[in-house]
Amino acid sequence: MKSSLVGQAVILAALALLPAAGEAIYFRDKISWRSAIAPSEMVTVEQARGWGDTAIWVDARPEDEFATDHVPGAISLNEDQWNELVPQFLAVWAPGKKTVVYCSSLSCNASREVAHRLRKTTEPPMENVFVLEGGWEAWLKKKR
Amino acid sequence: MKTAENLSTINYQLSTNRRFVWRIVDFAIAGIFIYAGALKAIDPVQFASDIDNYKLLPWPVSVALAFFLPWLEIFCALGLVFRFLYRGALSILSASIVVFTLATIAAKLRGLDITCGCFGHASQHWSFPSHLATNLAILTALLVLSFKATSRNRLQNAA
Repeated sequence: MKSSLVGQAVILAALALLPAAGEAIYFRDKISWRSAIAPSEMVTVEQARGWGDTAIWVDARPEDEFATDHVPGAISLNEDQWNELVPQFLAVWAPGKKTVVYCSSLSCNASREVAHRLRKTTEPPMENVFVLEGGWEAWLKKKR
Repeated sequence: MKTAENLSTINYQLSTNRRFVWRIVDFAIAGIFIYAGALKAIDPVQFASDIDNYKLLPWPVSVALAFFLPWLEIFCALGLVFRFLYRGALSILSASIVVFTLATIAAKLRGLDITCGCFGHASQHWSFPSHLATNLAILTALLVLSFKATSRNRLQNAA
């Protein structure tokens, strides 16, 4: 096919768009375009509070921030001290419980990373692990 | 006369052997990109996360690329196999390897401990030097194929 280099590249890109669009439709419930966390894995402060004692709160922020203040009853578990801290989480976790992970705010990634790692900690993968929408900032706003 | 005929036959044989070797390279490179593209197309959610980890692009752009790039790789690889839109395919694959390599180097310099995402999560345990070496080897092969394709194209246009 005698066409220019750019023309060939454009045709290839256009061909790739078709299955890409199909996949985007197929995976629309598993991925959010607004946030890195799927809607099914995110909870608001009100929802998480409504779970009462069936929820385990996990603070994914650095130790010094946890020490300053945290959600009452929350367990500290961050990626830097994972091996040291995960046993205390596993000691209180049970299959029926819901886990709510938070970090500083909506834009921080720590809660997503910790939630992702928690799911892979058990075999079969841990269920009912959620990220708190808005993080610690959202908790403080609702507390006032 | 017979000597000239023999030489001509030998030249033809050598030329055919060389073309065969370069076709093997086409297939090998295409196989790598079809494998890499398929791994990422199966799990675009993870691939979006891998792209986002570079902290270079907004999340919606990472998602769009996570859906688009694997299929672009696959179609370009098929272009290598079937010699369809060949030079365009080589250009896109070369550009993608360059961009991924530069992004990986930039992430390393910024102290980000991330996986390349080049082969989906299959390559998450590769070391940085392994990633770099693999990418550079593939890029070299692509550039050589591009050079040969360009030379062939010029000869055909001149004829």
